Amino acid sequence: MKRVRSLTFRRPLACLIGAGLMAALWAGLPASDAVAQGTGKAETGGQAQPGKASPTPSDWRDPLRKFAQRKKKDERLPAKADQQPKEVVEADVSTRTIAVTSAFTGTEIVVFGSVVNSRQPSAEAGYYDVIVVLEGMPTPLLARRKSNVAGLWVNTESVAYESAPSYYAIASTRPIEEIADEPLLQRHAIGLDFARLAPAAQSVLEIEPAELKTYKDAVIRLKQKEGVFIKADYAVIFIGKSLFRAAISLPANVPVGPLTARVYLFREGDLLSSFQSRVRLEREGVELWLYRFAMKQPVLYGFFAVLLAVVAGLLASAAFRRRDTA
Amino acid sequence: MHIYLPIAEMSVNVLLFLGMGAAVGFLSGLFGVGGGFLMTPLLIFSGIPSAVAVGTGAAQVVASSVSGAMAQYRRNNVDIKLGAVLLIGGIVGSVIGVKMVRILNLAGQFDLFIALAYVTFLGVIGTLMLIESIHAIQRTRSGTSRALRQSGQHNWIHRLPLKMRFHRSKLYISAIPPLMIGAFVGFLGAIMGAGGGFIMVPAMIYLLRVPTNVVVGTSLFQTVFVSAVTTVMQASENYSVDVVLGLILIVSGVIGAQYGAAAGARLKGEQLRLLLAALVLLVCFRIGWDLVVTPSELFSISKTFGVP
Repeated sequence: MKRVRSLTFRRPLACLIGAGLMAALWAGLPASDAVAQGTGKAETGGQAQPGKASPTPSDWRDPLRKFAQRKKKDERLPAKADQQPKEVVEADVSTRTIAVTSAFTGTEIVVFGSVVNSRQPSAEAGYYDVIVVLEGMPTPLLARRKSNVAGLWVNTESVAYESAPSYYAIASTRPIEEIADEPLLQRHAIGLDFARLAPAAQSVLEIEPAELKTYKDAVIRLKQKEGVFIKADYAVIFIGKSLFRAAISLPANVPVGPLTARVYLFREGDLLSSFQSRVRLEREGVELWLYRFAMKQPVLYGFFAVLLAVVAGLLASAAFRRRDTA
Repeated sequence: MHIYLPIAEMSVNVLLFLGMGAAVGFLSGLFGVGGGFLMTPLLIFSGIPSAVAVGTGAAQVVASSVSGAMAQYRRNNVDIKLGAVLLIGGIVGSVIGVKMVRILNLAGQFDLFIALAYVTFLGVIGTLMLIESIHAIQRTRSGTSRALRQSGQHNWIHRLPLKMRFHRSKLYISAIPPLMIGAFVGFLGAIMGAGGGFIMVPAMIYLLRVPTNVVVGTSLFQTVFVSAVTTVMQASENYSVDVVLGLILIVSGVIGAQYGAAAGARLKGEQLRLLLAALVLLVCFRIGWDLVVTPSELFSISKTFGVP
C-alpha cells in the first residue's frame, strides 16, 4: 500500500533519518534502532530490538555488521549439541496471495507446519511450544496525545515512529511469557510488547523514556482496538506428533501490503528452530485500478471524480424531471 | 453488505452509508441547502478519516448542486457575470484552503481545526437563522410583511473602487466584495467539505443585496465550479477523494433529495428555516461536545494521508 506513496515521501524520510543520525552523532547519545531500520534492513528479518533506545553506540554505527551478526546467530541457534537429529520446523500458509477487492471483508490465514524429527509422544504432550507471528510491513506512524488547552481537548504532543508493523498477529501454544524469557522474545520481536516499534531519532532525543513507554503502550492498545494487533494464546494447536496449525484472522481494515509469517519452535525455553514465509496481500480488480489511478495520476483522478459526480447528478436530475412531468 | 473503500482503506457497510446519504439528501432537499455541512461531520462521526470526508464531500457537493444549477440556469436565474467574479475568488480561496488542509493534517491539528470551523460557523449561522425565523413567524402571526431588499439603501460596500455593472442582478457595485466573499466561501468549502451555500446565500442577500430570485441560482452556479476545482485539488494535493464512497453518497443523496423537496413543498418557509436552524445548532453542539468533554482515550494514532 505504501509502495506507491513511498516514491513521494522517500526523500523527506531520508532527510529525516540523515538529520537524526547527525543529531545522534553530535549529541553522542544512543540512537534508536529506528536508524538502523530506516536504512532498509528492518524488513529482511534482522532481529532488531523493538522500540527502546538501544544502549550501545555500535548499534547505529555499524548496522550492517550487526545485521550480519544477527543473521549468523540465528543460524547457529538451533544447533543444540545432541546426538539425536535436530528438530527443525517447516511451515507454510494456507493462502500465499490474498486479493483485496471491493468485497473484501477480512479473511483468515491458516499457518500450518510440522516439526521434523519430532520427539513428541503425542499431540497433547506439550513437549514443544510453537509461536506463529504474522506481521505486516513496517510503516511510519504518528502517535498523538491530547491535553486540555483552555477548555478544549487538543492534540499537543506527538511521537513519530519511523516504523511500526502495520499489522501484527501472534498465536502460540500457550502464553508466550511461559514459553521463553523476555530477552529471547525481544531479540526475535515476538509478542505485542516486543513488536518493532521504532521511534524517530528526534522523538527519542526529545522525550523521556518513561513518556516513550506510555506512547508505546498507547500505540499497542489502539492497534489492538483497531483489530490489527492480535494476540491469541493457545491458538497454535498440535494435530499429531509433529503437525500443528494456527488460524489467524485478517480483519477488513488490515493495511494492504506484504505480510511475513514467522514460525518459532521452542523447547523448555530454548529456541530450536524458526521458519519464515510470506503472504501477499494485494489489491485486485477495480480496487487496484482506482488506487493506482488516484495515487499515480491524482489530477486526472480528480477530474474523473468530478466527471463522475456531474454525470451522476445530471442523470438524477433527468430522472427527477421525468417523474415531474409524469 | 460491505464494500471496501479504496482510498479510505476501510470496509464499510454500504447500507449504512446509503442511509446516511439518503437522510442528508432528504434534509438538503427539504431545506434547499447543499447538505455538505451535514454530510462531512456525519462521515467523520462514522469513522471515515476527516481528510477523506472533506475531500469526498467536495465531490458530493458537485453532484448535488449540478442539477440545481442547470435548472436555475434554464430559468434564467443565474447572474453569470457575478457568478464568474465569485468563482474567481472562490478558486483562490479553495487553493489556499486545500493547502491549509495539507499543512494542518501534517501538524495533527486538522481534526481540531475542522471542529472549530464547524462549531463557529454552524453556531453563528444557526443562531442568526433561529432569531430570523422566530421573528418571521411572529411577523406572519401579527400580519405584517417586510421586503427583504430595500433598494436605494447604501452601505460601505458601495463606496469601494473597481465598480462593475451586474445587469442580471441590477447591481452596480465594486468587484472587491464578491471576490472576497467568493474567496472566503471557497476557503471554507475546501476545509469543511461543504459547498458553503449556507454562507454564500446570506452574504449575497445581506451584504451585496442581490435580488433573491438570482441569489440561489448564482450561488449554485459558483458552487458547482468551486467544488469541482476543490475536488481536483483535494485529489491531487491530499489524495483524499474516494470515488466509491462518493458514488454511494451521491446516488442515495439525490434520491433522498427528491423526497425531501416534495416534503418541503408542504411546509412553510419560516417553519423550514426554524427547523433548519435547530438542525444546524444540533450539529454544532454535537461537534462542540467532543471538544470540551474529556475523551476516554487521550492518545490517537494516524498514518499521514498522502505525502507526509
